[in-house]
Amino acid sequence: MTVSESDHQRRPAHHDPILQIRNTSVTFDMDRGESRVLDDVELDIQRNEILGIVGESGSGKSMLASALLDAVVDPGVAYGDITYRPTDGEPVDVLDLDKQGLKELRWETISMVFQGAMSSFNPVRKIRTHFVETLDAHDYDIDEGMERAEGILEDLYLEPDRVLDSYPHELSGGMKQRALIALSLVLEPEVLVMDEPTAALDLLMQRSIISLIREIKAEYDLTIVFITHDLPLVADIADRIGVLYAFEFVELGPTDEILEDAAHPYTRLLLKSTPNLEAPIETMQPVEGSAPDPVNVPSGCSFHPRCPLADDQCRHEDPRAYEVNANHPVHCHHWSTAREEISMTDDYDVSSVLQSTAVDTRAQSEEIDPVVSLEDVEVHFETEQSFFDMFSDSDVVEAVNGVSVDIYEKDVVVLVGESGCGKTTLGKTAVGLQEPTGGSVQFRGHDIWDVQTGTDTGIEWGEIRRSLQIVHQDPGSALNPHRRVKTSLEAPLKRWNKDLDGNDRTQRVLSLLEHVGMTPPNDYIERYPHQLSGGEQQRVALIRAMLMNPDLIMADEPVSALDVSLRVEMMDLMIQLQDTFDTSYLFVSHDLSNARYIAEKTGGRIGVVYLGQLVEIGTPEQIIHNPQHPYTKALCWATPELGVEKNTEEAPIRTIDIPDPTDPPSGCRYHTRCPNAREICRTQSPESFDVPDETAHDAACFRVDDDHDYWTSKSITRAEETVFDD
Amino acid sequence: MTHDESSDSIEPDGGAISSPFEVVSEYEETRSERYRKLYDAYVYAPLSIILRDWRARIGLTIVLGFLALGIIGPLVVEPTRVTEGPALVGPFENWEYVLGTDAQGRDLFAQVVHSTDTILKMVTSGALFTVIIGTTIGSIAGYKSDTPIDTALSSITDVFINLPGFPLVMVLGLLLEDHILGNPYAVGVLLSIAAWGGLARAIRSQMLTLRQESFVEASQAMGLSTPTIVFKEILPHLMPYVVINLTSAGRRVIFEAVALYYLGILPFEKLNWGTMLQLAYQARAHARPGALHWFLVPMVAIVLISIGLTLLGQSLDRVFNPRVRARHEKTTADIDESGETDEEPTNEPMGGI
Amino acid sequence: MIQNKHTFMLTLDWRIRRIGQALFTVWAVLTLSFVMVRMMPGNIMGALVTRMSRQGINPARARELIELRLTIDPDQPIPAAYVDYLTNTLQGNLGQSIYFTRPVTEIIAETLPWTLFVLSWAIFISFFLGIAIGALMAYWEGGKLDVGLTSYAVVIGSVPFYVLALLLLIFLAYRWNLFPSNGRQPTGIDPGFTVAYVSGIVYHAALPILSMLVASGMASLGMRGNSIRVLGEDYLRVARLRGLSDLTISTQYVARNAVLPMYTSLLIRIGAMFGGSVVLEQVFQYRGIGLVLLEATHQRDYPLMMGGFMVITVAVVIALLVADLTYGYVDPRARRTQ
Repeated sequence: MTVSESDHQRRPAHHDPILQIRNTSVTFDMDRGESRVLDDVELDIQRNEILGIVGESGSGKSMLASALLDAVVDPGVAYGDITYRPTDGEPVDVLDLDKQGLKELRWETISMVFQGAMSSFNPVRKIRTHFVETLDAHDYDIDEGMERAEGILEDLYLEPDRVLDSYPHELSGGMKQRALIALSLVLEPEVLVMDEPTAALDLLMQRSIISLIREIKAEYDLTIVFITHDLPLVADIADRIGVLYAFEFVELGPTDEILEDAAHPYTRLLLKSTPNLEAPIETMQPVEGSAPDPVNVPSGCSFHPRCPLADDQCRHEDPRAYEVNANHPVHCHHWSTAREEISMTDDYDVSSVLQSTAVDTRAQSEEIDPVVSLEDVEVHFETEQSFFDMFSDSDVVEAVNGVSVDIYEKDVVVLVGESGCGKTTLGKTAVGLQEPTGGSVQFRGHDIWDVQTGTDTGIEWGEIRRSLQIVHQDPGSALNPHRRVKTSLEAPLKRWNKDLDGNDRTQRVLSLLEHVGMTPPNDYIERYPHQLSGGEQQRVALIRAMLMNPDLIMADEPVSALDVSLRVEMMDLMIQLQDTFDTSYLFVSHDLSNARYIAEKTGGRIGVVYLGQLVEIGTPEQIIHNPQHPYTKALCWATPELGVEKNTEEAPIRTIDIPDPTDPPSGCRYHTRCPNAREICRTQSPESFDVPDETAHDAACFRVDDDHDYWTSKSITRAEETVFDD
Repeated sequence: MTHDESSDSIEPDGGAISSPFEVVSEYEETRSERYRKLYDAYVYAPLSIILRDWRARIGLTIVLGFLALGIIGPLVVEPTRVTEGPALVGPFENWEYVLGTDAQGRDLFAQVVHSTDTILKMVTSGALFTVIIGTTIGSIAGYKSDTPIDTALSSITDVFINLPGFPLVMVLGLLLEDHILGNPYAVGVLLSIAAWGGLARAIRSQMLTLRQESFVEASQAMGLSTPTIVFKEILPHLMPYVVINLTSAGRRVIFEAVALYYLGILPFEKLNWGTMLQLAYQARAHARPGALHWFLVPMVAIVLISIGLTLLGQSLDRVFNPRVRARHEKTTADIDESGETDEEPTNEPMGGI
Repeated sequence: MIQNKHTFMLTLDWRIRRIGQALFTVWAVLTLSFVMVRMMPGNIMGALVTRMSRQGINPARARELIELRLTIDPDQPIPAAYVDYLTNTLQGNLGQSIYFTRPVTEIIAETLPWTLFVLSWAIFISFFLGIAIGALMAYWEGGKLDVGLTSYAVVIGSVPFYVLALLLLIFLAYRWNLFPSNGRQPTGIDPGFTVAYVSGIVYHAALPILSMLVASGMASLGMRGNSIRVLGEDYLRVARLRGLSDLTISTQYVARNAVLPMYTSLLIRIGAMFGGSVVLEQVFQYRGIGLVLLEATHQRDYPLMMGGFMVITVAVVIALLVADLTYGYVDPRARRTQ
């Protein structure tokens, strides 16, 4: 296998490629010129391998996936040679097939799972119809095919009848994604191309599907091409990894080599910029700059503007494929020195000063009063409410249920949990944007909702409103698309600093823009949000919150909409701003690696939320290395690692799917998925127990208490032996 | 406000960057600079957007043409009277009566000119009434959703959606005869009395979506007042929809007004397009050869202004699209040269997160 | 999660609510009528008394007559009169026509079916025409056919239906004598299910139906937009890759999903069309409820006017109710989210 035309013929015959891709490009004609979104790619895909293809958004990875089925969307054009080599019979040129030939190739030989499972099904037809019509269109025997489909669904831990008789909107995202995988396998293809199949899913679901992919690959004798932006995700399952940058492969090699000893500077920087649970946080560094525009790819090596090793040669000469070894081509003139120049462990100081001081801060802050204090907070939503509702009971979603937590000055708390677990609602409640239906939220000792209604006059509502701010997940919608940066940023100043005149306001905005690295600021203030990149939008949203000089900022997944290589940079900026402005943060994240990065770097705590309850809270060290609650353990298991050793241990959960939040389980809410659940967990809800290891570590699980009745209760997991049972 | 305190604690960050709150008024915007920006945003950009779209050019021309006809026309063209000319002169036969005459020798062109202002007044008041009531009720109900205010407003809206407007207006027209005689503005309002329901419901549901947007929540978090949030933050998003409804409400007012006058239900003082049709029908112009133009002249006027309004409405929404605006404003246009194009989705097929 | 239990509950709950809302609307319209007749300044009742006394009917007799015709007793206190009026109306007593001196219900029962006949055909034909044209435009988006049809749709959408009606009347009926110029049924043929009679009815209804087809202009523009949106959906791309036939894709995928949003707007149009029937039936002298309503208006026959208004309202309320209640069968998503 190879990425270069010079040596692919010389590859010895023991390679058995099922797909050979040569000189393949995809172009789009645009007003401002031809846009080349896949540039002269060479690749062999071996029979029965799992090939991981990693790239940032806009690197051309989805184009490659589409090109494999000759399914590039108009007005894009794919050209070059893509050859499919069946075990018996003549090789087939995919891009040359006529309509009938394509019909036989697609789905029957090469199948595909799209990233948008949510929208891959026709909303007005049942799942079963999708299977039947596919079998029918390809003249397969329908009864036999449906039997196979049911088998595949069962292998994916779904109840075939229930799923098949549902409409797409009746299934959860994870179920839909698995149903889509089953649909792609129903015609028994040889190659399965998966384009970000887990991007929209929760950590546990993502992890579970990754494990399933390994199983179905063995069972159905598949070759899998797994395309993702998330390097750690494929690290576990891929045999080889190819890294795409600016529409070409920069490096391709066996997984171990890529992870341990990558040769391309981009791969090395990407690995360093990826937050994870194990590597010391000091080694995590952002990749400077941003990926190029497809119309205007830099000359020479396309990575040279961002590369610390770039010299004149890189600027002018497109690097050919150099061989690290026979199985590992890399497109870099300096590949041999890259490994020394970009050390994976450099500037890592074992006695991390920052960490110890941070812990000190927290220990001190225990003494003083909290900024915001949540006590036994409950938020229940009624799903339907209107004039004629007297005829029926409405469903109640218990988004947050009995959560208590204190946030101190310059404190950082990161809430982690699956989507729909109520972590965002909890966060919004903490900053006074959501009124709790029970319990109290206090700001410096005043119940903020009493202040709002005027029953507590010890502090102004305006003061509270100014002190508690929010930064949203999607920077695109956090800024009003109709208002310029200047107008958006001046709004808080107009409201709160009435003594400033127009020029003073603008001056303040300009200096803050410069402070967060948006230079020249004069250029930026006149822009509309759509004229900013995602990272720039998030910076503007961040300084808009900072302009209020708040005491606590709730940041709702502030980096999840950004490219992997930009996340560390954004988190660093937020940490630096926290220092500058003396504020506290309440982060909300579904990603334990990001949570750990933030919490460890600031000496904060991580809180784990499950179905509206805070099940464990502690320092990152405690949460990751000494998790007490079984759910925390499952989250740690589900967080992909960059390590070489395969994570093959059994999943520490009994069911993949999260229970219906309108009808949460009785007792301990986690008992339906918990591998350690016993009879008592069904009926009794555990309180928060102090974990004896250190201070500031609490977990809501009977197992923390050595003398609890739990230990004499009967296990309920024996009866339902199966793991992953719906 | 304690900005001074916070700036004390700022650590020098790489040296080059000054304190973010150090207010030095070195940024001076001159008055003329400010006016230039205002002109750019509110005059130059909308005009340049409109003038670049053929639909808008045609629509604007037609609507401006009728405005001129309604405002200047009556000053120039003498009102016509019975037996001013020979009966049933065909169009373009006699240049004194360009569009011909009716069976009583009245000049049709003069009739068109002198009814245009009446029609325009009805259109203006009717369209504004529909849109203002619909938008106000819809946005209040949407912003205050799940409160008794919403319940009340939504129930009223539902009733009006179900009311068949035309028969109601017939009945009311009779009852209010005295109030609407010679008052085209009142006729416009009367015709729109049951027409705002659909708009209100649509605005409400859009409001429900917009209210969930992060930028609205951020504004609430900043403590901005509710009117500021609704009018400055949210309303611009509804504008494309409001504008389309404004023109389609105007069209509806014309259609219904003409129909009511044609049926002879509304009282009138002077002739208008509807009464022209009525007189033609009563004179059995449809059965008489050589009288076709009596029908055609008002018909063409109705269809033409309606096409103008439709085209204008369809293209005006672009004026409120920030992406389009940005391309046409001098202040920001250069940024777009490199980044955005008219056909935006070129990046989308690349997918990826 | 599959939420069968909740799906069912929400559906039930929502239907009852929707019916309640329809009843509320009917009640509101009844009350409005009462207010117009009895309480508005320059009200109907006063006008009638004046008119009758001019005709030499003594006031006491006039008041009796009024009560008979309007089912509102002018001498009763307002609350009692209101209750009486509601009871009468709900029992189907809409009073008596002054001009025709027959019960209003009788007149309406005789004319309403004709209007429904014309309107339902007009709605169905214009809906399907609009869908077909819209689909064609979307299929050849940006092509000459698209530009041509779009211009056509804009123009036809700008023509009021009565203008088209008059033009059809002038040319097809008077100039070329292809269709009858007035009436609703063939003369000289006995009513019944005979070929001659039925075809005669269709023949008479043809021009009114044709006039209403201007509605297809806007419908086709809507369909075009919807189809183009659906053509960009992921599921369409997946369906193509799955090798489904073009027929399945265009009917079950594109058309089905593009038509959904139009279903509601179609039924909302019913209200406007009922209103339009007044003008339409006047042009063709087609004796339906619209024409009767117009005659009543000209004759100041208030009981008939109010009755006609009420019946049209109830018809529209029922149409919209049916539209909303059946929407779940067309779009499975609505069964839960509504």
